[in-house]
Amino acid sequence: MSQLLQFVVTGLAAGMVYSLIALAFVVVWKSSGVANLALGQLVLMSSWFAYTMLGTAGLQWYIAIPFVIVFAVFLGWLIERVVLRPLIAQPILSLITVTLGMGYFIQGLVGIVWPRSQVRFTYLFKGSPYHIGSAVLLRPELWAAIIALVLFAVLMVYFRYSRMGVAMRATADDQKAVQACGIPVTKIFSRSWMFTCVLAAVSGILIASIPGKVDNSLISTGLQAFSVVILGGLDSFVGAIIAGPIIGLAEIIGSGYLGPVTGWSGIREVVPFIIIIIVMFIRPYGLFGEERIERI
Amino acid sequence: MDLPAGTRNYNYSEDMSIFRTGTQKFLLAALFVFLLTAPLWFGNYWLTEANLIGIIIISVTGLNLLTGYCGQLSIGHAGFMAVGAYTSAILTGQFHVPFLIAMVSGGLLAGAVGMIFGIPSLRVKGFYLAIATIAAQFIIIWIIQNWTSVTGGYSGLTVKPASIFGFDFVTPTSKFYLILAITIIALFAARNIARTRVGRAFVAIRDNDLAAEVMGVNLFRYKLMAFFIGCFYAGIAGSLLAHTNLTVAYDYFPFTDSVLYIGMIIIGGLGTTIGPIFGVLFIELLNVLVTKLSPALQTALPWLPSGFTSGIAPMLFGLAIILFLVFEPRGMAHRWGLIKSSYRLWPFSY
Repeated sequence: MSQLLQFVVTGLAAGMVYSLIALAFVVVWKSSGVANLALGQLVLMSSWFAYTMLGTAGLQWYIAIPFVIVFAVFLGWLIERVVLRPLIAQPILSLITVTLGMGYFIQGLVGIVWPRSQVRFTYLFKGSPYHIGSAVLLRPELWAAIIALVLFAVLMVYFRYSRMGVAMRATADDQKAVQACGIPVTKIFSRSWMFTCVLAAVSGILIASIPGKVDNSLISTGLQAFSVVILGGLDSFVGAIIAGPIIGLAEIIGSGYLGPVTGWSGIREVVPFIIIIIVMFIRPYGLFGEERIERI
Repeated sequence: MDLPAGTRNYNYSEDMSIFRTGTQKFLLAALFVFLLTAPLWFGNYWLTEANLIGIIIISVTGLNLLTGYCGQLSIGHAGFMAVGAYTSAILTGQFHVPFLIAMVSGGLLAGAVGMIFGIPSLRVKGFYLAIATIAAQFIIIWIIQNWTSVTGGYSGLTVKPASIFGFDFVTPTSKFYLILAITIIALFAARNIARTRVGRAFVAIRDNDLAAEVMGVNLFRYKLMAFFIGCFYAGIAGSLLAHTNLTVAYDYFPFTDSVLYIGMIIIGGLGTTIGPIFGVLFIELLNVLVTKLSPALQTALPWLPSGFTSGIAPMLFGLAIILFLVFEPRGMAHRWGLIKSSYRLWPFSY
């Protein structure tokens, strides 16, 4: 029983980080219809950058974190301006593969700038862990959950009530009509990519803080986070925030109980992909996604 | 087909022929002579490289039928190659099945696995399908890692050399001829699949699947067929890879390769027969160049960061994919077509 409680706590916390990465995906999908498959690499690069700021440069967190955020905003602007802008109105195949190419590029860049494969990352959220009954809740886990919920609330409000947010949703629906209404589409794309990169940076910092290390397996973490997007529905913030903990629980409980019994390794990493396949067969548009009806 | 001035088709066989004019036939013969005598002047290094290129051309040709012609994006092609490789390795190693039968069985099983993961393609497309095939890649590799009794788990398997009617393909030269022959058959088959009823149905599905369905193309059947054919090619390529390296392990088939295969068909040109050849040659030769050049650069320019050698290759691949998508989305095949027509039309511009 105490084991189960521990699994639930760890699973929920891991799931909230997945939710954050999923939110980063949904922002771009909702406003420009581009599927960003380079999320893992963006998360990886931001956590390495945060390591440089906090660890190598030794800055205080209140100086270093704004630096990381500014860097993320710049990165988002750069990606949109250089990579995505020339491909506006191209077929979806090009838009997906260009993010794959971008991911490859970032991966190589990270390899050049930060050649070490793994470093310690224990700069934020210091202090003893909390105890819930017999279960242990690490401080970074709690903070990850809180920050994810706050960012979710901010995004919900922004997309529902602000003029720019509504314009973003409209852009995803019909770019030409929005442009005809005089809404600057390119500005919207630019802004959505900045949001994505900031969210990826925040999740990069959090995801590195929980185990206390930065390493290159974050790329596959980014891929596993797509299970959250698929389960929750591509265009739904609510879906992302609910599906994240579900995936986290499935991962931790599945690997926690199956691992010792079967002796299989890597269950935790493969569970999200199995969930993806199951969702594809049963309900491909996810729990909260909008089912699109197509016409010729 | 564009023909030079003065050349006419007088019967159906002329109309259907792939190589029509004397120049084409001459160049084809020259290419054959070059390829058949290649082991004479390629060193061992280049011969091994050529073998790898041939294998990847087979796999990418399959991916091109699936993604380039039928429009179903698959980012798990290396996983399907792994299925073929392990099937063929296990059949020849443990059950003493002849190599050719084992290779075809590897292809068939890879095709069947591909079809299973292709079933969602009936209801979803684009990004969803990309994610489903990524999931396929990771699930296949995970099964290989953990099904130790059959696949050898993390340590992999040793594979017998390919052998046909008692002749063992052990030397790089003999492997080169084997791979060359199979690559030519695969390319010829792909060229012909693309212009049959099936290939035309694929193109119709790619261009607009709803319209294709309304016109009477059975979407379920043809999409699954595309997955089967594409993954069959991958299985054949995987089997050849296993019998060339004489070992097979899960890390021969990384996810990054699946992405790179997509990059290759983008760079070469989607939906053309010659595209995969160009794409594979471009990426693999770039890879050779980088592996040869970057250590030298590293020593010559000591201020370069220490991760330069390992990071520069993925960076250049990513850059190539992005640049081609932005500046030449129809790939090198399109550029090649322009060069050919300007040669044919010279001295006029059109």
